[in-house]
Amino acid sequence: MAKKLITVVKLQLPAGKATAAPPVGPALGGYGINIMAFVKEYNEKTAPQAGSVIPVEVSVFSDRSFTVTLKTPPAADLLRKAAGVDRGSGAPNKTKVGSISREQLRRLAEQKMIDMNALTVEAAEQTLAGTARSMGITIRD
Amino acid sequence: MNLTAGWLELSVAIDAEAVESVTELLAQFGYNGGVAIEHPIIPGLDGPEYTIDPALPVTVRTYVPIDEHAEDVRAQLEQRLWFLGMMRPIGALQVRALAESDWAEAWRRYYSVQRIGVRTVIVPSWLSHAPEPDDIVLSLDPGMAFGTGLHPTTQLCVQLLERYTPAGGDVLDLGCGSGILAIAAARLGAARVLALDTDPVAVDATIQNMAQNGVSGQVQAALGSLGVGASFGHWLGWDAPVAPAHAAPADGVTFDLIVANILARVLVALSADLVAALRPGGVVISSGIFFEREAEVAAAFAAAGLTCLERHQKGDWVAFVHRRPAPGGQQQGADT
Repeated sequence: MAKKLITVVKLQLPAGKATAAPPVGPALGGYGINIMAFVKEYNEKTAPQAGSVIPVEVSVFSDRSFTVTLKTPPAADLLRKAAGVDRGSGAPNKTKVGSISREQLRRLAEQKMIDMNALTVEAAEQTLAGTARSMGITIRD
Repeated sequence: MNLTAGWLELSVAIDAEAVESVTELLAQFGYNGGVAIEHPIIPGLDGPEYTIDPALPVTVRTYVPIDEHAEDVRAQLEQRLWFLGMMRPIGALQVRALAESDWAEAWRRYYSVQRIGVRTVIVPSWLSHAPEPDDIVLSLDPGMAFGTGLHPTTQLCVQLLERYTPAGGDVLDLGCGSGILAIAAARLGAARVLALDTDPVAVDATIQNMAQNGVSGQVQAALGSLGVGASFGHWLGWDAPVAPAHAAPADGVTFDLIVANILARVLVALSADLVAALRPGGVVISSGIFFEREAEVAAAFAAAGLTCLERHQKGDWVAFVHRRPAPGGQQQGADT
């Protein structure tokens, strides 16, 4: 009998520096996964990218085995780097912290597309522009 | 582990469009910048395939230790979410207190008897098992330490210990975790086993499991490392305080067999220390090596003067057996 997928948990963690503390413990422990086994696997696979934030998708199966799929860095991370700002705006509807060009937006969309529910680069651009807006980052024409 | 009175779980339900920006916000406030994102998935009939139900919201969670700052963090986060809520629909911030015991013990329900070597059977300490005549039964409660027997690297190491444990010899288990490998070595015929780890959680688990298996006379567990191993933070990745009671084996203490199931970068850094702690003709079993990094370990061990005897792979993980050559090229048999 094939093993059945129970759930998929996505975690956003510092590459190479995951610990058994939250969010890993509560997010995975409750599904019956040995937490240190996940920590060992995540940290080894992301050690080369230390310093970045690497999201990971953990698929948990009925026999309590799990698989780990690393994702591209979060859009917010890429947008912040492109705009040259440390963090998003506290009040993005009023205070803008920076901007990126249309060309930068296009490049980010191409980079992130594999991990987005977007069928075209244009659709990926729209989603990213929405994320940028809610961080107080504007798109320059 | 972080010692704390408990944790606040801060969660919010949002639509898919808002996931990136809310995740970004929660990461600024949460412990270790960590965020958990749960999409409403509909599993396929079998295998890893799934679809996402677009009608249901996505839940995004982060955690902060309960201390004097917790309430401040909650209030700030609530305010920032309110601003985001001006631009798109955002659910109310949900707050829940959690204790470590809420998740630390949950895996026990799914932990069962497993045969992980030819003869070695792992039995959870709260279950019983009727062994075959030749079986070596290890009764184990890993707690929060690594080494349940479920991980491919543990299984590879146990299978190699079954063949390489020297009868009446001295063994070092470096990075002992739950103590599973140290106890297996003792039960497989080693006279004395030293089990070292830099994580006190692991040393406590090992001591408890030694007693449970009646090998406390053969195995000694301590906080400590070989050589440079204490300068690493936690061996599984993060910057932890170095073990205060540093119980490295004294200079000149050597072993017939070392088993080290850690990670590639640690094994590479320790390669010279491993050789120094091996008797001539002694063997080191190494694992915790992600297959993309095995060449680094192979090169470091070769440079340190070790000879590769075997390589095995299970899933993404590799284990090696190396020997420190005896002077004059005298080699002992592989299966002792």
